[in-house]
Amino acid sequence: MSAEVRVWDPLLRIAHWTLVASILAAWITADVKLDAAKRAHEWVGYAALAVIALRLGWGWIGPRYARFRQFVRSPAQTLGYARALIASAEPRYIGHNPLGGWAVVALIALTAAAGLSGWLSVTDRFWGVKWVQELHEALGNALYFLVGLHLAGVVFTSWRHRENLVLAMLTGRKQAPRPGDVD
Amino acid sequence: MLIRISLVALALSGAFLPLSAARATGLATCDSGSRESWQPQEKLTAMLKDMGWQVRRIKEDGGCYEVYALNEKGERVEAYFHPRTLAPVPTGSKDHKG
Repeated sequence: MSAEVRVWDPLLRIAHWTLVASILAAWITADVKLDAAKRAHEWVGYAALAVIALRLGWGWIGPRYARFRQFVRSPAQTLGYARALIASAEPRYIGHNPLGGWAVVALIALTAAAGLSGWLSVTDRFWGVKWVQELHEALGNALYFLVGLHLAGVVFTSWRHRENLVLAMLTGRKQAPRPGDVD
Repeated sequence: MLIRISLVALALSGAFLPLSAARATGLATCDSGSRESWQPQEKLTAMLKDMGWQVRRIKEDGGCYEVYALNEKGERVEAYFHPRTLAPVPTGSKDHKG
């Protein structure tokens, strides 16, 4: 067994899998017009918003690899990484790689926007307002598309670096840095 | 074991991929025939206004008119009406005759 390092802290992992569960539950209940399904859809939306609030705070005060400052890279760095990726010469990152980091930001933003628009759609003021309903649906669909992209990125990166990243998000551990890796 | 868990996690997440499959699962369906026999939405709006409702949106769903409104007590309601008779359709009804 090769050496491993702790990368993803427990709170980050719980937040990740709670979001997975809420987004999955929101997707399942989205078009089921039963009162119970509607109520469930509403509450998983609130749960996702709460997790996101927690994750945003954790991104400032949490451990190193949870911090946005650690993994949100500049456009130039991200573009450089994308170029290296196309040339099959991208380095392995201990935390999120630049594209993965932006995927995190985009997933958080879209989940928050979907949750907030859903919340709006059940207030007296915006109940039954067409553009709010349509915005919520569009944000939901964009989120599912991005989830697919995120998964493709995870599978691809796992394969490229011979490291099970889904497992890493469960255990919090990744292979110890090797020469050429970026911290 | 851990690999199996991660495979299950991945498979669960993979359920997202088929985007938003169109699932027509209305709260009710109406046996409402051809559209020519339907009463206009405006008439339903006027009728509900007289009841003290504030109508926000009327959609078609399962052959019924689906109404989003605030009722006379100011409560948010989503209600179904038969397009031919404009009679309320209880949620859960299938092929309601109106």
